[in-house]
Amino acid sequence: MSRPAQASLTRLEEIVGSAHVLTDSAELAARQVDEVRPSAVVQPSEAAQVVDILRFAATEKLSVIPCGGRTKLGIGSPPARYDVALDLSRMNRILACDPGDLTLGVEPGVRIENLLQVLGEQRQFLPLAVPFADRATIGGIVATNSSSPLRHSYGAVRDFCLGMEFVTGKGVPAKSGGRVVKNVTGYDLHKLLIGSLGTLAVITRINFRTFPQPQAQGTFVASFADSESAFQFCRTIAHSVLTPQILEVADPAAAHLLFSADAPARIIPKQWSVIITAAGQPSVVDRYAHELGRMAGAANAAELVPLSETEASSIQMRIREFPRTILDAALSAVIFRINAAPAVMPALLARLTHLATKKHLDLTTLTRASGIVYAAFFDEEGMESPSAASASAAREVFQICSLPEFAVQAMLEWCPTEIKRAAGGVWGPMRPEFALMQRVKTVFDPQSVLSPGRFAGGI
Amino acid sequence: MQPQLIRDLVALLGQNAVLSEAEDLMLYEYDGSVELGSPKVIVFPCTTGEVAEIVRLANRHNTPLVGRGAGTGLSGGAIARDGGIVLVFSRMNRILEIDAVNQRAVVQPGVVNLDLTRAVEHLGLYYAPDPSSQRACTIGGNVAENSGGPHTLAYGVTANHVTGLEVVLPDGEIVRMGGKSIESTGYDLSGLIVGSEGTLALVTEITVKLSRKPEAVKTLLAVYDTLDDTTETVVDITVRAITPAACEMLDGFTLRAVEDYVRAGFPKDCAAVLLIEVEGLTETVEAQAAAITEVCRAHNAREVRVARDDRERDLLWKGRKNAFGALGRLSPMYYVQDGVIPRTRLPETLRCIEEVSRKYDLQIGNIFHAGDGNLHPLILFDERDRAQFQRVVAAGTEIMKHCVSVGGALTGEHGVGMEKNELMPLMFTQEDLDLMSRVRAAFNPAGLLNPGKVLPMGKACGEIRVQSMPVSATTPA
Repeated sequence: MSRPAQASLTRLEEIVGSAHVLTDSAELAARQVDEVRPSAVVQPSEAAQVVDILRFAATEKLSVIPCGGRTKLGIGSPPARYDVALDLSRMNRILACDPGDLTLGVEPGVRIENLLQVLGEQRQFLPLAVPFADRATIGGIVATNSSSPLRHSYGAVRDFCLGMEFVTGKGVPAKSGGRVVKNVTGYDLHKLLIGSLGTLAVITRINFRTFPQPQAQGTFVASFADSESAFQFCRTIAHSVLTPQILEVADPAAAHLLFSADAPARIIPKQWSVIITAAGQPSVVDRYAHELGRMAGAANAAELVPLSETEASSIQMRIREFPRTILDAALSAVIFRINAAPAVMPALLARLTHLATKKHLDLTTLTRASGIVYAAFFDEEGMESPSAASASAAREVFQICSLPEFAVQAMLEWCPTEIKRAAGGVWGPMRPEFALMQRVKTVFDPQSVLSPGRFAGGI
Repeated sequence: MQPQLIRDLVALLGQNAVLSEAEDLMLYEYDGSVELGSPKVIVFPCTTGEVAEIVRLANRHNTPLVGRGAGTGLSGGAIARDGGIVLVFSRMNRILEIDAVNQRAVVQPGVVNLDLTRAVEHLGLYYAPDPSSQRACTIGGNVAENSGGPHTLAYGVTANHVTGLEVVLPDGEIVRMGGKSIESTGYDLSGLIVGSEGTLALVTEITVKLSRKPEAVKTLLAVYDTLDDTTETVVDITVRAITPAACEMLDGFTLRAVEDYVRAGFPKDCAAVLLIEVEGLTETVEAQAAAITEVCRAHNAREVRVARDDRERDLLWKGRKNAFGALGRLSPMYYVQDGVIPRTRLPETLRCIEEVSRKYDLQIGNIFHAGDGNLHPLILFDERDRAQFQRVVAAGTEIMKHCVSVGGALTGEHGVGMEKNELMPLMFTQEDLDLMSRVRAAFNPAGLLNPGKVLPMGKACGEIRVQSMPVSATTPA
């Protein structure tokens, strides 16, 4: 074993107990990041141990990557160094739950599934319908800013996270924000940690506001012959008095994935599909049915189909698990997450389709109408291993996104390690504000102990 | 002969964009808080390029620089505590773009909050954050303070509505972050800068979300004979998971002042009222209004009135939004606080405030965002009575300590500024504050940008500055 040396393991065992320092190869393999394996897995049970581990790592110049349910370790650039996997799955307590205030404080290792169940008993929820829902932990969801279709009406983590406690790369415990629903006291440092892939600090507590479960839900699918009409329909909804919970656009390939197994026969999976979920009391859902029918007709929809409760929950599950479904079907898929304002979406998708055709690749897209496009490219010829065509397509996606008519930011969220290298990175071209991000990194983690090399701008 | 700094500023911006006469400077010594500070010079840039040049000049002269919008802030954020240059954004007040398709607007920082709504309402859109000072306050100031307002309860604070920024860093570099899309890749720098109270960068352009006007609105006024019944209603509304768009509380003392001033139709003989607004689809509004009425009655509301028309609704809101001004008629000065508590702790907290009022022999009015647990106790006083002012500060500190002790925060929307920076150790450890201080230094290494704000200046825990002498403050807030 190269690093950490036996002396390091002894020290780590002193901190967390010998049962919680793992070195056998299966455990190390389970936490590898882009083919790089750690030398040890350390499983703290409380924030004080995280402090000791990071202080020790900083002293010994060990590189640490935090992990939880290990569902999204593939997101980010390949690590520059990786010695210790800091497995937070034992830190899985709900620390505070104040249903009367609709607030909650949790440790990072709490699984979203368990959390939603506990909240469900209070008829509350967190709007995080995220992929890998059976294994994902709240810490990982926050650290990757995992996207949820519920973002359409509830916003993303930054909109309902009230504060965090964390340990910096120097092993210093700190916090920002608080636990009340409105608070401007001090700098919102916790916002920096959302989506930071564990490059700034290790999160030890997250406070959220929670939301009351709606009385009723109704899910509808409208099918269209082309993307223009589908997006026009979304615009009509966005400019109406309706505020749906979910508004997603699936291209024909995505529609096929979402609906193929137990789709009601009346849905035409070969078409562009808009999936809308309405929430509120029953009279509100009725009103949506009426208004959406009218708007769909005006937008030349083939039809508007209301789904049964079972159909709706199955479709919602597949929308939630979209990246996972793609990866299950094609391990070598190249999945971009693109932040695009609604107006550019149809033209952007047309360009991506053109690119896929040119490269003889398949393209599947699922679009959050409020502004996130998931675009998955895969090669029919090489479902299991990456192809040169996908790598060159990946490079071109970044170029397309940088065109002045789009000027959108893209991240290569899921792809094989070789593609990350061949595509010239997963974060797209350098931007001027990356220098500012580097300054922030230096404050939180001056020695680059945490997840070195994994973030934008080489952080 | 003018100092070199002023001559340089005049050469850069022209005589019309620089003020340095004593009588002009006095107008920029204060904001809506009780704080005071004298700048050396006031400048009025028109472009981002000019802002960047001013920043470079400030660096060359090693002079502090403070950004300022309309000066309605309530924590001294726009006051030149250490003198220097006050950079007023009132000439950068153009709406640069209204993008109805994407429901975004790109504005300069000096655009008045309500003017943006006025500019887009013909499209059925509006800008949701609505500080009570929205007729005067600017979006740049709102961004600096991460301002809220009554409708924050349903729609969130300024940070939830900003998607992109152009900023000038303290070294004069111009950087853009985010844009029209709802997310951007990399660290959420704009999330950090919104609410950083002008200490990290000067914001020169803001991209904000525009919201669709709701189909229906109902405004309810619930009248109570005891404070406890009022606060218990708020707790119960939250517990029953009803989310009104706004839920404001005014106590009897405040109501009487408001009624004498605005004649909004508030009853003058009650202990408190709740002003509750529900918005959305007609169906939602009907159901929520019925549910809220039921909760109010269950907690002994003696009357639950629904505003009959827009006129009555506007009048009730006029009363609420002018309440600070109304109290200003009763007393030469007031000190408004902004603590936040978990909603479930509202009844005991209001009792605590009553106790503090008795203990320090001070009149305290309560008018606040009850649905968010965001308190605004207004402590009335006369600045000529030095001993009384000492009691005001002590009472204020005691209320804030209570808020923090029940799991709350020092400020919900007004900012820390130079008013509460020495109280930060009540909420944050030395490690927390050190990290914040190093983040500030990463952006603002020389410390020239808005010095003496947000973070403590190195005094012991819980100490508060009392040397500042308040000036007149009857600005409607």
